[in-house]
Amino acid sequence: MDDQLPALRLVGLRKQFGRPAVDGLDLLVRRGEFYALLGPNGAGKTTTLRLVTGLLAPDAGTIEVLGVDMTAAPAAAKAKLAYLPDEPMLYGKLKPFEYLEFVAGLWGVPAQDAEPRARELLDWLDLSQHAHELTEGFSRGMKQKLALAGALIHDPELLILDEPLTGLDAAAARQVKDLLLAHVAKGGTVILTTHILEVAERLAHRIGIIRHGRLIAEGTLDALRERTPGGSLEDMFLHLMAAP
Amino acid sequence: MRLAPGSVGWLLRHELRLAWFNAAGGKAADGRRRPGNLALGLAAAGCIVMHVASWFVVRQLAGMPDDDPRILLAVSALLIVATTFMLSSAIKACVVVMFERSDLDLLLSSPLPSRSIFTVRLLGVCASTAALYLFLLAPFAHAGLLQGQWRWLGIYPGVIGLAVLCSCGAMLLTLGLVRMLGARRTRVVAQIVGALAGALLVIASQLHALTSRQTQDGIRTTVLGMVQAENAGDSLLWMPARAMLGEPLPMLLLGALACCMFMLTTWRTHRFFARGLQLAASTPSIAAGKAASTTAQPRFGRSLFRTVVIKEWRLIVRDPQLLSQVMLQILFLLPLFFLIFKRADVQVQAIGAGLALLCSSLTGALAWIALSAEDAPDLLLVSPASQRTVRRAKLAAAMMPVLGLVAIPLLWLTVRMPAAGLVGFLVVCGAVTGAGLVVFWCGRPGVRSNFKGRGKGGFVMNVLELFNSLAWGALGWLLSAATLGPLDDMGIVTTAGAAVIAIAVPAIAWMLRPRPV
Repeated sequence: MDDQLPALRLVGLRKQFGRPAVDGLDLLVRRGEFYALLGPNGAGKTTTLRLVTGLLAPDAGTIEVLGVDMTAAPAAAKAKLAYLPDEPMLYGKLKPFEYLEFVAGLWGVPAQDAEPRARELLDWLDLSQHAHELTEGFSRGMKQKLALAGALIHDPELLILDEPLTGLDAAAARQVKDLLLAHVAKGGTVILTTHILEVAERLAHRIGIIRHGRLIAEGTLDALRERTPGGSLEDMFLHLMAAP
Repeated sequence: MRLAPGSVGWLLRHELRLAWFNAAGGKAADGRRRPGNLALGLAAAGCIVMHVASWFVVRQLAGMPDDDPRILLAVSALLIVATTFMLSSAIKACVVVMFERSDLDLLLSSPLPSRSIFTVRLLGVCASTAALYLFLLAPFAHAGLLQGQWRWLGIYPGVIGLAVLCSCGAMLLTLGLVRMLGARRTRVVAQIVGALAGALLVIASQLHALTSRQTQDGIRTTVLGMVQAENAGDSLLWMPARAMLGEPLPMLLLGALACCMFMLTTWRTHRFFARGLQLAASTPSIAAGKAASTTAQPRFGRSLFRTVVIKEWRLIVRDPQLLSQVMLQILFLLPLFFLIFKRADVQVQAIGAGLALLCSSLTGALAWIALSAEDAPDLLLVSPASQRTVRRAKLAAAMMPVLGLVAIPLLWLTVRMPAAGLVGFLVVCGAVTGAGLVVFWCGRPGVRSNFKGRGKGGFVMNVLELFNSLAWGALGWLLSAATLGPLDDMGIVTTAGAAVIAIAVPAIAWMLRPRPV
């Protein structure tokens, strides 16, 4: 495995829905990095993530996931990543173990790896006692945690999350954050979008800010702070958004 | 008139207003809150046509005697049909009232008495149950009124009384089921009972095929005896029919019975209604509790194909609404199975055609659920799993239960009549494959909760499914007939034409399949 390969490389990525949603986006996320993508509503964050995960086809540009071109070899690229959208992709009539069994089947995880991993994830996320309940009765937080367990069942090298903490209580949010940090500590890469700037401030190694489908600022928290002297990330974010 | 806020009348007005807004259906998005002019125009045109037709019917029946047992028998038979359908729709409406909560949480959290809420909801069930029948039958009452035949006015109290009795019966049945079985099972059972009640007539219409000649003769003799007996018209059995025919005493009795039933239902059960709603609201946790006691070991490491097939079956079996709809289709197969297993004089043409038609329809329904109504399409798209394998597994998940269902009856038929059995296998396999492929290639994405309205989503798919069913149905009939004796020239030409259509349908579906942009 080439450690020099970036986890994600986007070059000149474009996508239009009548108007440009992603407009020539260039982005590079290194392996083992925790990267936060910020932007106002309608900035193109979710579209970018859906392009990266192969849910949308780009109009132009290239997407490389750990050196694999998403357009040329989508299956190989998808095998390396996991995606957690803001609305969890669950089946209400399946129980957590059955859901994880299904997701493991989709990613072709061998039984000897999948079963202990499923138990470990459910234990970690405090879902074991609900392992044999239908997910339709779960709270928003439990659903989000189960979807995260599904995303991690195949131990992806790149984990992509869209607003993963929306609607979670403090305890659940803490569990999710701990799990993401543990994933990065093991060498995995995390890219997330969030509206909670404190999350980006506290967790991310680097932060990218997009607006109108373009990257308008990027760097470590300290580097970004330097652009707005004395200000917090929130000040800097609002300053950038106010710029014409 | 200003109604006191919180009163039954006030709440009823609110419900009626919502029902009127809801009648706008999907058009509400453009800001309009009433049905479209076209819909209103069509309803008005239908109403006028019904009035014109009923004017002539009423005039034709002007000299009809009131107490002719044959007329009473005909009206009673109509009432049995109407009652069956009313009961079916009332049970379904009660399930909606109990389990599809919409604004119930708001109402129950308000200081309104639960009796008022229950009364209004039950009135809503009564109104929805009676509406269609009043639309169809009220023109006769109006025509009778204009022609001075007052007895036709009995239709109003007759239909409303019957609807109230059916609605109260359905509500008591639903609440009783909640008490006995719990909320989760009630939802499944009530939906299946509702579907069964609606299908009862289809099964009853097959009785002549299911019963022996001796039994049929016995029934005929009994009915004739009832009609021809001295004082036959005085029997209490004719009371509902007499009420519908506008006889004052039976009409009053039916009205009084309906009022008593309504008052008793609201008076005695409104508290249990509130409790039932609480149980219904906690359905998922009840489900959870039950599921925990039957812990099944997870089975990781299956092939992708088996994983997808098992997931599809689990989702169908655990969805009561889908299950009841699918069960309803299976129900229509039962008379055919009965013919295969029981009757000595097997009607092979009917079996061949019937099995092909029903298996095609059932496969189409299951394929739509599995292929078009995927709950988490993004999960499948974002995975590295071969989409072709996933879709093939979904197709197999739809086809396998249907083939499994008819395999044993067809094997039995093959043992008894080898040629007819083999034809049966051929047409069923063809019909199932054709129906599955049509959905596979032409199905449009939909949501499972819209199972009944799936036809609105894809005109091409519907037309192709229809042609597939008809072609294989015709082939089933003709090829089965060919096992009994040679076909005439017309039969051979028709068989060839049906075969061409049967092959052309999946080919057209393949050509019309959406291609990646």
